[in-house]
Amino acid sequence: MPKLNSFDVTIKTGDKGPGVAPKWSINGFIVDFEQSKGGTSAGETFHGIASPGSFPHTLLICGPESGIWNIDETRITFYPHGEEPYTVRLGAATLDEESDLNIWIERPQAVFDV
Amino acid sequence: MPSWFSKVFKAKPTSSGPSRPSLDELMGGIDTSEDPEPEQLAGPPKKRRVVNAPILEEAVETETWSADVRIKARVEKDKGACVLMLDRPVLEGNSAWFPNAQKAELSPLAQAIFSIDGVESVLLHGYTITITRRPTMHGDWKPMAQEVGNVVRTHLVDGSPVVTDTFLEGLPSSDEIVVTLQRVIDTEINPSIAAHSGAIALDRVEGNTVFIQMMGGCQGCAASDVTLRQGIYEAFRSAVPQIGAILDNTDHGAGKSPFYKALPAGIN
Repeated sequence: MPKLNSFDVTIKTGDKGPGVAPKWSINGFIVDFEQSKGGTSAGETFHGIASPGSFPHTLLICGPESGIWNIDETRITFYPHGEEPYTVRLGAATLDEESDLNIWIERPQAVFDV
Repeated sequence: MPSWFSKVFKAKPTSSGPSRPSLDELMGGIDTSEDPEPEQLAGPPKKRRVVNAPILEEAVETETWSADVRIKARVEKDKGACVLMLDRPVLEGNSAWFPNAQKAELSPLAQAIFSIDGVESVLLHGYTITITRRPTMHGDWKPMAQEVGNVVRTHLVDGSPVVTDTFLEGLPSSDEIVVTLQRVIDTEINPSIAAHSGAIALDRVEGNTVFIQMMGGCQGCAASDVTLRQGIYEAFRSAVPQIGAILDNTDHGAGKSPFYKALPAGIN
């Protein structure tokens, strides 16, 4: 598991969203995004940038404080220490006040031509 | 009273000298009549669930295809196997697993792959060819994968058969496989993994390709892959040697209690 210098995330909200900027958590610690734009209301897209500078065991997008958050798609680009960045695209997920979205996906295995 | 007595045991002071302040004085006039009630605890913190969304796409190296028969390779995380992915099906409807060259006499393609030094087993399934190498082989997979890729490409371009008709004619029906494997699950596998609160179920059989699901303590268990490879594979292949691919259809991240330990009776 590499040290994760930073990551940026783009979240497309479906037909229901909390309307406020989400928080994220690393290893149980809940943190605000350092930079963000966009929104999480229905149909909106949120962009956030964070710099954990640590070794994630869990990396989550926190669910809304109340109500339902229907996420259509999440795209995360990871910037590990000393390695090339990589991007993962996640499909639909629904969060509520008791759930968080796992966004920690380790680097996919490289594919090469033979 | 002896004279020394008053020297050892001094008499209590009788004067009204400095005395310890009373509790009321210490409180300094603090009004304690309306102390607030201790804050009511809201109970234990709520348990939170972690949602795993499906991975739609992972950015990987993108290189142009290099030949007529386009083949890409991916080494599995534990470096134990290499999966070659082709732009065309290798074997449709069925799959074929060969543990060594001797068992591959009914597959010209597998025989050609076994001619490469170090190849231990070959699995032909759909658009993929999975190879393992002998434990004595170490280091980078790329040279061997490249060699296998060349052999496969040459074989397919020549139009040589992947498996012989005799191989296909010798395969048992899906129904026969289901009956036999269900017996193996009921009588061998599940009793042996019940101690770990685990169980497996036969999801389905397509041709001679087997799909299973792991449940209870097996679901999400970090050792489930080892259980699958060392225990279930051997039991299944021992019962039906013609089985091809065995695929774990379990969502190991889902479920309310993936990988749990059984608790003593009465404890929830």
